[in-house]
Amino acid sequence: MTTVTFRKATLNDLDRLVDLLIRQKRLNEEFDPLLRLREDIAETGRKYLEEAIMSENSLVVVAEADGRVVGFLKADIKERLFYYPKTEGNIVELYLLPEYRRKGNGVKLLEYAVNILKERAEIITAEFPSLNEIATRFYTNLNFRAIISTYARETIIKK
Amino acid sequence: MGVELEKSGKDAVRVAPYYAGKYEIVPKIPIKSLRDFAVWYTPGVASVSKAIVESPKLSFEYTSRWNTIAVVTDGTRVLGLGDIGPEAAMPVMEGKAVIFKYLGGVDAIPICLNAREPEKFIEIVKALEPSFGGINLEDIESPKCFRILDTLRESMQIPVWHDDQLGTASATLAGLINALKIVGKKMSDVRITLLGAGASNVATARILEKAGADPGKLILVDSRGILHAERDDMDELMLKNPWKYELALKTNRERITGGIAEALEGADVLIAASKPGPGVVKKEWVRRMNNDAIVFALANPVPEIWPWDAREAGARIVATGRSDFPNQVNNSLIFPSVFRGALDVKATTITDEMMIRASQALAEYVPEHKLSEDYIIPTMDDWRVYIHVAASVAEQASRQGVARTPLNYDEAYVKAVKLIARARSILERLMKDKFIKPFPEG
Repeated sequence: MTTVTFRKATLNDLDRLVDLLIRQKRLNEEFDPLLRLREDIAETGRKYLEEAIMSENSLVVVAEADGRVVGFLKADIKERLFYYPKTEGNIVELYLLPEYRRKGNGVKLLEYAVNILKERAEIITAEFPSLNEIATRFYTNLNFRAIISTYARETIIKK
Repeated sequence: MGVELEKSGKDAVRVAPYYAGKYEIVPKIPIKSLRDFAVWYTPGVASVSKAIVESPKLSFEYTSRWNTIAVVTDGTRVLGLGDIGPEAAMPVMEGKAVIFKYLGGVDAIPICLNAREPEKFIEIVKALEPSFGGINLEDIESPKCFRILDTLRESMQIPVWHDDQLGTASATLAGLINALKIVGKKMSDVRITLLGAGASNVATARILEKAGADPGKLILVDSRGILHAERDDMDELMLKNPWKYELALKTNRERITGGIAEALEGADVLIAASKPGPGVVKKEWVRRMNNDAIVFALANPVPEIWPWDAREAGARIVATGRSDFPNQVNNSLIFPSVFRGALDVKATTITDEMMIRASQALAEYVPEHKLSEDYIIPTMDDWRVYIHVAASVAEQASRQGVARTPLNYDEAYVKAVKLIARARSILERLMKDKFIKPFPEG
């Protein structure tokens, strides 16, 4: 089996990262009708990732196998205004291509990122759709627990 | 063909009310007066019940269970008709039940369930277990059929078979074994393209791997093109069709992308089980296949490509699902004997190995000297083929330890002959004595 390695993303990874980001969002869409993909996701996603790669306060790491990017993780460093601990590493994206799953690569990717984040963050949080049971299982198994919930409804309730 | 189809359809509707169903239950015990029921029914029968309480296994000896299976459907994917519901599925299930009896000597009870929810369906079928020696699932839509079969296979102590998956896959494997013999290629070497990724081809891919094919050399093509590990609907498949998802991960090692044309480039074998042709598979695509190409075009009523077109495009061996062309790949060659064999040893399950053994037995029934491009699979006319396959399946079950009453090949052969012959002679006698009315000409 090919070994998967991890490194920080560069702008050269952008094309591939956009593809992976769209796959991840499409997976979320499968779980919840309130997560319908926007048509301009490719452009928006590219800008979003580009900014994250350039930003001091974001971290984008990639998983690589056979010289190809096969997964990625994006986290943001945030200050928590009202609570201790004061600094937070907030994981907002995590995706691995199917054939690299169930082999411990997701955990390794996360640990690789946490290892970098811990320099500047005392607490690690992860954000994902509530109905994404795969993500729920993944993080729960790694001792994460729900801390804040986002509830949603449409502004006009359809009868 | 069109005309024939129309004629058989007209006949079927005309005689359906005349016969009002295709089977009935006839006692097989002597009844001369009501007094006999003191033995067949209460009070005598209580002792039989007590014995079964003592030893539940005796229900396979003391009741009809040993030779009775349920043919169960929810009517969600009946023939080419689609989701027609359980009532409309009944005539089809009755027909299937009668084939079971005629070809396999198996008593099959059609059961059409008002249960579209897989969980409910599973629960009901599980609850049927005490009455039957086996379950034949039929005409259930994909992908729920995969979960239903896998769950029931794991949780029941009697054989569970989904004919649209396993029967077709098994017959296909039989044909392929012989076709490869003719062209002198090995199962582990050939590149096999499977067109269509529904019930039968998903099952075929799984069984081909078990039978020695290299999964990396299987290429599956569905309505969205060639399946591969990075296709952009993979996450959707993971959630909605994990069986296809698993296949996407392990097949197509070279990561070929595109459609049927690309999938056939250099392929040794095409197994098409997709949608009725002609023209679903084009001649120019078959031309791109490897030398001595093997083409199975299994869609009914019209194969994906006409056999003569496939031949002209360079295919050396062509099989279809039709009886009016050579090499009919037909699950009717498999299911009656698989159940005959499984029931004869009171098997607890039908393993993949029993299924592969059935395919091999069917393949080896064609003697070497008769094996040819136009004869790779036995026809349904020779009823001894069923006995050979049944005995082989029974023997395999016994070897694997899934037989409640193990038998060797010869013992199983004798048993199967008797039961199949008995079914046929009873039928002949009933027709002769006009208990079964002659077919009304119209």
